[in-house]
Amino acid sequence: MTLDITGLGAIAAIGTSPEEIHDALCRSRSGLAPLRVFDQSKYRSHLAYEIDDRTEPGRDEPRRATRWLLHAVEQALTDAGLLDTAARYPVLVGTTHREQRSVELWWRGDAPVGFADLHFGTALRERFDVVNTFTFANACAASLYTLGLAADMIDNDMADTVVVAGTDSMTEATFGIFDRVQGGVPSEVRSFARQRHGMMMGEGAVAVVLRRAGHGTPSHARLRGVGMNCDAVHPTVPDAESVVRVVREAHSRAGVHPGDIDLVMLHGTGTVLNDRVEAGMLHEVFAGAKPMLTAIKSMTGHTLGGSGLLSLVMAVLSMRRGTVPPIHGLTDPMEEADGLDLVRDQARPAEVRTAQVDAFGLSGINAVAVLEAAP
Amino acid sequence: MTGRQVVATGVGLAVDGLRGPADLLTPYQRHPGGFDPDTGLRGKRMRHRDRASRLASLAADAALDDAGLRSAEGAFLGTPTRTATVVSTNLGNLDSVCSFVTTIDEQSALALNSTELPNTSSNVTAGWLAIEHGLRAPNLTLSNGATSGLDALHWARTLIATGRADAAVVTGVEPDNEYVRRLHRDNDERSWPDAAAAVVLESADHAERRGARARLVLGPYQRATSADAALRAVLPAQSAAGQLLAEPALAADRPVLDLASWAGRQSGALGVLQCVAAAAGLDDPEGVAVAVSCQLPDAAVAAMAFHGPAPVRAH
Repeated sequence: MTLDITGLGAIAAIGTSPEEIHDALCRSRSGLAPLRVFDQSKYRSHLAYEIDDRTEPGRDEPRRATRWLLHAVEQALTDAGLLDTAARYPVLVGTTHREQRSVELWWRGDAPVGFADLHFGTALRERFDVVNTFTFANACAASLYTLGLAADMIDNDMADTVVVAGTDSMTEATFGIFDRVQGGVPSEVRSFARQRHGMMMGEGAVAVVLRRAGHGTPSHARLRGVGMNCDAVHPTVPDAESVVRVVREAHSRAGVHPGDIDLVMLHGTGTVLNDRVEAGMLHEVFAGAKPMLTAIKSMTGHTLGGSGLLSLVMAVLSMRRGTVPPIHGLTDPMEEADGLDLVRDQARPAEVRTAQVDAFGLSGINAVAVLEAAP
Repeated sequence: MTGRQVVATGVGLAVDGLRGPADLLTPYQRHPGGFDPDTGLRGKRMRHRDRASRLASLAADAALDDAGLRSAEGAFLGTPTRTATVVSTNLGNLDSVCSFVTTIDEQSALALNSTELPNTSSNVTAGWLAIEHGLRAPNLTLSNGATSGLDALHWARTLIATGRADAAVVTGVEPDNEYVRRLHRDNDERSWPDAAAAVVLESADHAERRGARARLVLGPYQRATSADAALRAVLPAQSAAGQLLAEPALAADRPVLDLASWAGRQSGALGVLQCVAAAAGLDDPEGVAVAVSCQLPDAAVAAMAFHGPAPVRAH
């Protein structure tokens, strides 16, 4: 499989375009800030990586995830030169929460919510006149899952061009349950650090335009393959063997060997378990090879459904710019990372030809993508 | 799409008051001896699961039994690495989201029940189904509005047609609870009963290899801006649909089976319920049924055709 990535779009706590976000990552600038609207007295943790765009500071508003999705999709279509013909291209959206934050505001009596707000199809249709829209609630592997489905569509002649996207805003329900469950109170996302205390939420949306190779517009990078599977073991504990399997499946579909991979964009949530399992996968799959490793959640927070595709977009920019962002704040890596090439302290100039992107979601759903630099 | 024909080999339900798929063919009522959520959703294996996941689990069991893919002890008899899980639901975890917020407001996050962690993610039901049966192929949750059920069938077929899986368990589910009822009321929609429907899909050659009986063949699928356009796009050129599963407004001149009248226009389970009803109603192996989602303001509509199981035909 060889598919062109011809358009990029993104927004997160640290920038409103892919380039801005990559700039911030390379300067090791984190989006962490005190909670902007949640009642701090209700939680042990008082920090998150929010997008600071509310009309009235301190007061939440509905449909922010929808707004960011439209922003990212429009950027990607514009970048690909396809905005005028947007109605033709299916849009596959991956999300963890959908508009559950709007539901929370409705439940409290702060804002109405309608059925059309719960998925993104109506908003996409109003903006882009597109009918083939699909919202997949596939947890934190969602946007790489949608990438895989989009690739399958093109490979099987169901479409020539597909818009792939992800979006999520923070919800109090999820913020609250992680606050309840995590052992410590994390002060920042500390991917692959010895002292790491858990996942912290971020916000963001991301989109790419995926096209059959050589379909007209210049390519930013090429997608080689996407592996997708399910642990089917436990709702919250990742399964090490399954994670190894999905990476090998991605390599096999991409026709690459571990030694071909220059860079791995880690899932790297900074939870004790995820990072341990992911490091175990790296030792097993990459025995003898030594790709560079970075984890953007250390600066964007966990952007949930869109996080995998945001990592992919940052990999594309790392290829184009020859610069890999560091893992923010990583001074003392965990023992399990011994022998791994973690990019830290500052951005590293490097030629990246082939990259792997990891995304592992709740309920044990995994997706891994392999991409290569444009020819 | 590649030419891998996809068939349904098992169907199942867990709908408040219904005894089985045949009850979908008559006006909805709670039958004596029908499924009772008050008693049917209990049991040790249901522990820690939200209501939608319990309902889905029962419907999937029934579909797997019907397909001959579950042992008497409940063990999955198919190939776990080649079986996908696809769920459609819109309000499956509304109860978790709203009740968590109430707990936080009245007490604090520390009062939340940690075992309910997976419930805030809308894929929780698909996760439980995969865990229950060990299904390791791709796992999808469609939360795509009123078209979700037919969308789920379409994507499950796509996973099979593109070789990601040989079979898929497709389950549509919507629970009934106080949160769902309030959302309905605030949006002038009628409430729905607890409802889950499940269909086992396989490639035709996979079904044939294991000697499974095809109940129906999935036909064309189309999304459109109107129910009429969606219907016309999937209707076989030479025939009027034998069975039309749609809102009455779509066809003034012929009878329709309007499951949405009780299952809900906004139900993510509707398309899968329609497929189960089509399987129950397709006596004629040459017959055809067409399901259409509801026409709602500003939302797209989906339609899918279902063919009787014989003879094998290309589409």
